[in-house]
Amino acid sequence: MAGIPYTEALSRYQIAAPRPLRDSSLAVADLLEQFHPDYLKNSTVELKVGANKGDRCHRDLARILQSDSRIDDLALAGVEVLETDVLVIGGGGAGCTAAITAAEQGVEVMLATKLKLGDSNTVMAEGGIQASIEPSDTPQMHYDDTLRAGHHLSDKALVELLAMSGPEVVRWLIQQGMQFEVNKYGDLLTRKPGGASAPRVVYYRDYTGLEMMRVLRESVRNCKVVVREFSPVVDLLSDESGHCAGAVLSNLSMDAYTVVRARQVILASGGIGRLHLNQFPTSNHFGATGDGLVLAYRLGAKLRDLDSFQYHPTGMAYPCHMMGSLITEGVRSAGVQILNALGERFVEELNPRDHVAAAIIRECAEGRGVLTEKGVGVWLDTPTLERQQPGIFERRFPKLVQRGKQGSVDPRQIPMLIYPTLHYQNGGVVIDVNGQSTVPGLYCVGEVSGGIHGRNRLMGNALLELVVFGRRAALHAAANLRRSGYHRVSLEHLSNMRRELMRLGEDMTYKGPQLFPDYANFDNDPDYRDLNYRIILGELGARIRKLVST
Amino acid sequence: MVKKMVSAKINGHAVTAPDSMNIIQAYWHAGFPRISGVGCLEGVCGSCRVMVRRVDSGKVTAELACQTMIEEGMQVQFLSFQTPKQHTYRLADFKNSWDVQSQFFDIFPEVSHCRHCGGCDVVCPKDIDVENGVGLAAMGRFREAGELFVECVMCNLCKSGCPEQIAPNQVGLFARRVTAYFHIRPSNLINRLEAIRRGEFRITR
Repeated sequence: MAGIPYTEALSRYQIAAPRPLRDSSLAVADLLEQFHPDYLKNSTVELKVGANKGDRCHRDLARILQSDSRIDDLALAGVEVLETDVLVIGGGGAGCTAAITAAEQGVEVMLATKLKLGDSNTVMAEGGIQASIEPSDTPQMHYDDTLRAGHHLSDKALVELLAMSGPEVVRWLIQQGMQFEVNKYGDLLTRKPGGASAPRVVYYRDYTGLEMMRVLRESVRNCKVVVREFSPVVDLLSDESGHCAGAVLSNLSMDAYTVVRARQVILASGGIGRLHLNQFPTSNHFGATGDGLVLAYRLGAKLRDLDSFQYHPTGMAYPCHMMGSLITEGVRSAGVQILNALGERFVEELNPRDHVAAAIIRECAEGRGVLTEKGVGVWLDTPTLERQQPGIFERRFPKLVQRGKQGSVDPRQIPMLIYPTLHYQNGGVVIDVNGQSTVPGLYCVGEVSGGIHGRNRLMGNALLELVVFGRRAALHAAANLRRSGYHRVSLEHLSNMRRELMRLGEDMTYKGPQLFPDYANFDNDPDYRDLNYRIILGELGARIRKLVST
Repeated sequence: MVKKMVSAKINGHAVTAPDSMNIIQAYWHAGFPRISGVGCLEGVCGSCRVMVRRVDSGKVTAELACQTMIEEGMQVQFLSFQTPKQHTYRLADFKNSWDVQSQFFDIFPEVSHCRHCGGCDVVCPKDIDVENGVGLAAMGRFREAGELFVECVMCNLCKSGCPEQIAPNQVGLFARRVTAYFHIRPSNLINRLEAIRRGEFRITR
């Protein structure tokens, strides 16, 4: 790739402002089509089985959606069986919100999470939460901005709820004990997200997610919720009517499966960044491997927008060991400029994320990027912002300053090198206004759900979404518990998909859900050998079945 | 940007990796599996707690593995993450803010046993002024105490470092939560909530 080496480009860089914007010479639609990773040739395939048969889907996602299960009925003989009213899967923001809310309704709640309670993308969120509270703003503007940014492909009923609920959500969070930035009169401060028509994001420094997660985790611990940590779900359970009826938990520390029979299941398992789609680095948590999509799809749930992902424009590109980690959009809200290796400004920084990301990728592809040992990037002109607003980094972006220290790059002195990083799954499981999927008894909330963001999400709408729909789903689930639960609970739903995959001659050696990224060597870990041993047993079973069927 | 290879010991295994990697990356790089004790990989989830001894040093320090670069001769041990017994309280049970201080010691009775040994300060991977924060909370200065815990990632190391088993991070979080619960009353938010309640805002699709 052509470009200017890091040291040379840095020596050319100068603090100067404001810089004129270079003419783009490309219409937005063309820019996206030519440079946004969603449009990369051969990156999508058609799904061959399931509720979305025939739909376009990212190649790597299709692989896990059409994977074979890690278990079969054999694996469940003699395992521990538990029962609960509501089972919440996922211990991030959405899962904790749902668990707290359901517990308030007086029903039995169990929360199972793959790692530690609170380990999630929520804890890493920096920018803030959208809520139209400024006099210059209205819920209607929030609604319109969200639809426009998503290219008018969102589910309007969901967006309407999202926009109308913003202020109430902030109030709820404050009552959980979450702090926000306020001015000297105690009014909430707001930031303007890229692609929005008014300042609307409330925040806490660049630690909004950390502040939110600490508080929600503490709330969960202080109400009657049974928490099972280090317990990834390997499949959902169904009953004879096709209703979701619980889940099979594996247990990372005890080498054992547990069957949890539940009257309602709320899936809040998050996103997909750690699949590193299109070989992109990611800003996501270690556990974000798209497990929930696989679980729901196998049970017959309809998904949507499986070829649309968000690449956050400002992922770190230098130093190389920090590649992909996030620099908040709040820095752009504060007025920072983005420059290519020649020191030119080439994009309006507060355009929607897909637009800014595509523009950065274009600069680098056309040879105007800064080259490092492992990659390429453009400048985020942080020193100029510090010059214009002295002390802003220390006051507003302490996490960025910390990260700079760790990478020996002080953002106040040296511009940060950035390149888009895989950040968010725009689509997901189709839900209604109560978070219900197309499968009875299965609710999906947070990043695993789809329909709110269309093909591009606005900053601050993810943290908002997970509270709005986490609460709605929990209230609806608790109020509609099935009287008759637990009839003929099984993995029966797996066999149909398995048969179909075999008939199509699909490769059945790949087992899903993925649970952890390849580089963690999960499948070779002696600590978890029983889980993997069972995979081997499962493979043997599959081979025998294949022999029998032929 | 020359890559230097270094040798270290992680969980008793000899590991060779470039010095541009953090401890987790180095362990993976050497082909060892690691899952529990890995989280956000950017220092905010508090999962990857390790004990570290550097070459020529008798001192053992507590750190976060994703925030610590691998060094020649380093010895590292991952700590399992134990979820300590919680102090339970519900914000909704405080009927008004005048009662918080009197109830604080009912919830956190160990706080009055603080020996001022500084153990919590030594182990904190975020360099928080932990002991001072606990002291401020004990004096009822909750807002001030909470301010010290802004960067706390709830890794629980301070609790491990406390001979009296105080949970300083939970004290810090308590201080922050009561501050928000009782004192954040933004007029811009309240005005908007009122207007929505009166039906002044509707969305036209």
